[in-house]
Amino acid sequence: MSRLEAKRPSLCKSEPLTSERVKATLSVLKGVVTSCYGPAGRLKQLHNGRGGSVCTTSQSAALLASLPVTQPILKILTTSVQNHVSCFSDCGLFTAILCCNLVENVQGVGLTTTTAIKLNKHLLSLCTEYLKSEICGCRIPIDFGSTQLLLCLVRSLLTSKPACMLNREEVEHISTLILRAFLLTVPENAKDRIILGKSIIVPLKGQRVIDSTVLPGVLIEIPEVQMMKILPIKKSDSFKVALFCASLSGDLSETGEGTVVLSHGVSLENAVLDQLLNLGRQLVSDHVDLVMCQKVIHPSLKQFLRTHGVIAMDRVGVALMEPLSKVTGTQPIGSLNSVSPSSYGSVKDWCTAKFGFKHFFHLIPNETTVCSLLLCNRNDTAWDELKLTCQTALHALQLTIKEPYVLLGGGCTETHLAAYIRHKTRDEPESILKGDGCTQTELQLMSEAFCSALETLAGSLEHDGGEILTDRKYGHFWSVQADSPSAVNWPDLLSRCGCGLYSSQEELGWCFLRGAHHPFMPQTCLPREASGSANDLTLDCFTAKLSGLQVAVETANLILDLSYVIEDRN
Amino acid sequence: MAAVGSVRAALQVAEVLETIVSCCLGPEGRQILCTKPTGEVLLSRDGGLLLKALHLEHPIARMMVACVSSHLRKTGDGAKTFIIFLCHLLREFHAITDKEKDSLFFKNIQTHGRHWKNCCQWKFISQALLTFQTQVLDYVMDHFLSRHFLSIFSSSTKKRTLCRSSLEMLLEAFFCGRVGRNNHTFISQLMCDYFFNCMSCESEFEEVFELVDDCFVELKVGVTGLPVSNSRIIAGLVLHRDFSVYCPADGDIRIVIVTETIQPLFSTSGSEFILNSEQQFQTSQFWIKEKTKAIMKHLQSENVRLLLSSVKQPDLVIYYARLNGISVVECLSSEELSLIQKVTGIAPFVLPQASSQYEISNTALVKFCKPLILRSKRYVHLGLISTCSFIPHCIVLCGPVQGLVEQHEGALHGAFKMLRQLFKDLNLNYVTRASDQNCTSSTNVYKNSRESNQLSEIVNSSVQRPYQGTVVKNEDELAKTHSYSKVCSNLVVPGIELETYIPCSIPEVMPANTYQTDETLRCLSPDKAKIIDDHEPFIESDSANSRTENTRIEISFENVQVTKIAEKRSILPVRYKSLEMSASQSYCFSCIPAGCVLPVGGNFEILLHYYLLNYAKKFQQSEETMVSIIIANALLGIPKTLYKSKKGNKCFPQIYTRALHALQTNQPMVSNPAGLESVAGKYQLLTSVLQCLTNILTIDLVINIKRLPQEIYDEDSEEEL
Repeated sequence: MSRLEAKRPSLCKSEPLTSERVKATLSVLKGVVTSCYGPAGRLKQLHNGRGGSVCTTSQSAALLASLPVTQPILKILTTSVQNHVSCFSDCGLFTAILCCNLVENVQGVGLTTTTAIKLNKHLLSLCTEYLKSEICGCRIPIDFGSTQLLLCLVRSLLTSKPACMLNREEVEHISTLILRAFLLTVPENAKDRIILGKSIIVPLKGQRVIDSTVLPGVLIEIPEVQMMKILPIKKSDSFKVALFCASLSGDLSETGEGTVVLSHGVSLENAVLDQLLNLGRQLVSDHVDLVMCQKVIHPSLKQFLRTHGVIAMDRVGVALMEPLSKVTGTQPIGSLNSVSPSSYGSVKDWCTAKFGFKHFFHLIPNETTVCSLLLCNRNDTAWDELKLTCQTALHALQLTIKEPYVLLGGGCTETHLAAYIRHKTRDEPESILKGDGCTQTELQLMSEAFCSALETLAGSLEHDGGEILTDRKYGHFWSVQADSPSAVNWPDLLSRCGCGLYSSQEELGWCFLRGAHHPFMPQTCLPREASGSANDLTLDCFTAKLSGLQVAVETANLILDLSYVIEDRN
Repeated sequence: MAAVGSVRAALQVAEVLETIVSCCLGPEGRQILCTKPTGEVLLSRDGGLLLKALHLEHPIARMMVACVSSHLRKTGDGAKTFIIFLCHLLREFHAITDKEKDSLFFKNIQTHGRHWKNCCQWKFISQALLTFQTQVLDYVMDHFLSRHFLSIFSSSTKKRTLCRSSLEMLLEAFFCGRVGRNNHTFISQLMCDYFFNCMSCESEFEEVFELVDDCFVELKVGVTGLPVSNSRIIAGLVLHRDFSVYCPADGDIRIVIVTETIQPLFSTSGSEFILNSEQQFQTSQFWIKEKTKAIMKHLQSENVRLLLSSVKQPDLVIYYARLNGISVVECLSSEELSLIQKVTGIAPFVLPQASSQYEISNTALVKFCKPLILRSKRYVHLGLISTCSFIPHCIVLCGPVQGLVEQHEGALHGAFKMLRQLFKDLNLNYVTRASDQNCTSSTNVYKNSRESNQLSEIVNSSVQRPYQGTVVKNEDELAKTHSYSKVCSNLVVPGIELETYIPCSIPEVMPANTYQTDETLRCLSPDKAKIIDDHEPFIESDSANSRTENTRIEISFENVQVTKIAEKRSILPVRYKSLEMSASQSYCFSCIPAGCVLPVGGNFEILLHYYLLNYAKKFQQSEETMVSIIIANALLGIPKTLYKSKKGNKCFPQIYTRALHALQTNQPMVSNPAGLESVAGKYQLLTSVLQCLTNILTIDLVINIKRLPQEIYDEDSEEEL
């Protein structure tokens, strides 16, 4: 008889969103993510009471990964944000905050969930259509002829992660490195289909950030002892490389499922070793200069190769195999018996180098798309944060190549979008409703909730009690110091808008973002010269932000739609 | 510990379930979040899943869930409607128990305790339900409802072709109840596109459905972290693996499937390999290498550019594959391989044992073979050229969380299951039985032609005889009760009706006849043994008749069978006479034909409600009519729940009166339907619910057995829910 275990009945809760506890936990999460947002965001220190390292961060990826969430509704929210981050790396906090704001605002409006969800979807499609359209006033097309905008994008990303602990000079240095590393992965003679290469991030902790650097090719870390053994050999134009993925340790390959019977005195180890030495002889006669193996090389073979002036490196690891085969242009060899000459590759040069206290073997390729980004930072936590940021930035650049646009950052996109939606819903509600059974009043209520969610999101960039303004021409984001006198000449107090595109010298008609104001149509169609002139813009990745917006609204709809929560307590 | 299994308890359970389930019914339904003990969260509007997730403890509730899941196994749809309908039925029954305490047909049981009396009463009702199911329901379906059926096929010709717009409406209505409110249009469009993309020719759609339903797991790719609107259809097949070796290739690409390692091994299982010297070892290794090399070379020369393997291939094979420009995909599941084999029609490549000269016949051509990256995960994308009616396409389903993606996957799979059901004919029991009777009657007729016309008289009289006998017996037992007079009147009526109705319409007569004779016997059913006694003399006296064997066998069963036989007898003469008049062509084998649909939104329920009431009105008050009326009223519960939140013109009373008016004046009920639903599914649901109800009603005691390993088990679990 099968063993039966009595299952405990599940816990079933109706209308979960109306419960006070859920509301409280949602607002706690909202508080956590909101306070992290932006360049002035506060850092969070995560430490496990049972040990492990302490993590200081303000990034959603690190934050949500270690945040223990048990409340099912919060779990939906956090996993949705985490999934977004794993797809796009960027805009995680944006998604989380927007989702929280939407849930909160829609509940406050008091419409039935059916209408709220339906209208939310209409408003979302209004947003996405606008952002994708040519007339969009907060989107800049990228001109790959200059690196100006790309550099701005990387710089904005770095400054929005305060836990990297970078000063201004270091931000400049790192953003140039990231951009260079990215450009090195772009193949030079691209055909119709571009396959980007890879930039390997090599850790170097405890060094100054300024010491970080980018090198073409692959860096392999080696112990100092081995370093001494590598003798400088004759210089030539290129070096022949053999890359093995099969083990050269002399162990027996698979013998099958049956039994192998050995006669007395037969030693298979010797036989295999003979085989290895034969292989060594072949490599030497083929004038191979460098032998690398993913797994272990038998010491005898190593010794043999060394005496014949061949450099042997083993235990390269599976992670480096693909870049190595790209750099050298070889095919990993899986045979011990005879190696076909076509599977050898070559490098332009090699050298040994010492960075900090670590020794590296550097393979310099003829022409490839692989580079190594040697990343330094003072301590472990800051290095981890910096590494994550670099990966995010590289990913954002890749996404930008696919969709060559960037969005204005610094809260300007959000306020501009909110102004646009307010105007649109007031101006032509019929075209949005499309005879869906909702009334115009319902649409007004929902658009107010939606826009204020966007504006609150922009407002959470300000953490020091400052006041937030918007202008009535472009609908951009402006912030003023906390204790500035009110009702004064605004242009004196303001300098530039959030993204840095406009200065306060223009007469723009400012007003408080939170205050009630009549809807206006923000100026669409970004002027051409705008993108060219400014070189200190704050920019966001277009693809990531667009998808973040969609995911946030969809997740909010999902949460609002819940009528029961069934918890399995087994 | 025993708990009384009563309608009251069942109703309480069903009402709790109803409140949970009704919130996610229909287009206005909302989502339910289920958490698993592993920490996963699942979003669902699938009734079956929810009921399972609740882990109910109450025995009656568990029984209901079991009934629902067995229904789902058959049809894959309708769990929520099941619960709601069941609850309304129970409610109706519960309501009448108070009124019918001293009802007309339970007077005779007074000596027993009240509880047992109740139980018996429920048992009768459940029997009445059974007869309703076997006699009334199918009849009403076939004769009245069928004229309202629409078809999903675009033409009524023999060659069935699917009508796209009908399919869209059907799917839209299906997904309305399955996925979130914002996504149902999108998902149903996606499914429709998918289906029409996969179909090579219009007529062989059933094969496509079957294949997609069977291999759905292999044909979908779930991607989390992207908005739902990024879901799309990809031409070709996506394998959930990455290339072990990828060599870009153009032009004529051929593939082979292998299920074992290409590299020969030293020894296979069950054999021994004896090594005598080191040289021998080296030579054999060399031979292995040469052999592998030769095979791969040969594959290359045959234009094979892709190797699909179900096992992990050794490094050596990978190496030679790369040298020869052959891409390799390893560790494919057997399901994936069988799908590829189905589509391309190739068999796995068998390694030659001895000779080095061999032919590779089992290769297939592909249009392309390239890596596909979805959310930084790499897949293999194959452009297979199909040899069957299914053109391979894959659905990429995106969603912000895994739970949502799973919900969409489940809904799509359910839709394929539903469609598969829809394209099957569903036999109506009633009609099948009628055809049986046709057989018996025809033999009778045959006999009749040989003998004399008098046989009819004999049969007729023999039918009459048991009735009289029982009546007499009845008289002895119960003295002069109300029921007795009723029986008498009933006995008279059929005879008259028979005579009058036969020439014009047989179907009208027959059920009337059945049900009345039925009732006569039912009145006697408390004394089952006595009925049998009554029959025996009749059998003896009539032993010349060939049908006595029949009677003897079946009479020993329960009284349901008895009624059947009685009914058969009562039908036979009718049939017989009508045959003489050569007017009985109306009884041919019939069914709900494949692809029958009705407009969505409670139309089926309102129609059935209307016709059941009509049917009941024609006859006097009896058990049968009572059950029909109860079921008819309970049916309305479903549209009531559907239109619960609607106001004004769309509220339930409005819709109901409009529908009734339309029916009475013979107008179409719905002018432009928003969606369609399968009739067969609805019908199956109805019968499943009735079966479940019968089960519940026949239980009188629930005995809770406690065993040691079970931990906490509440003694009185009635209040648990």
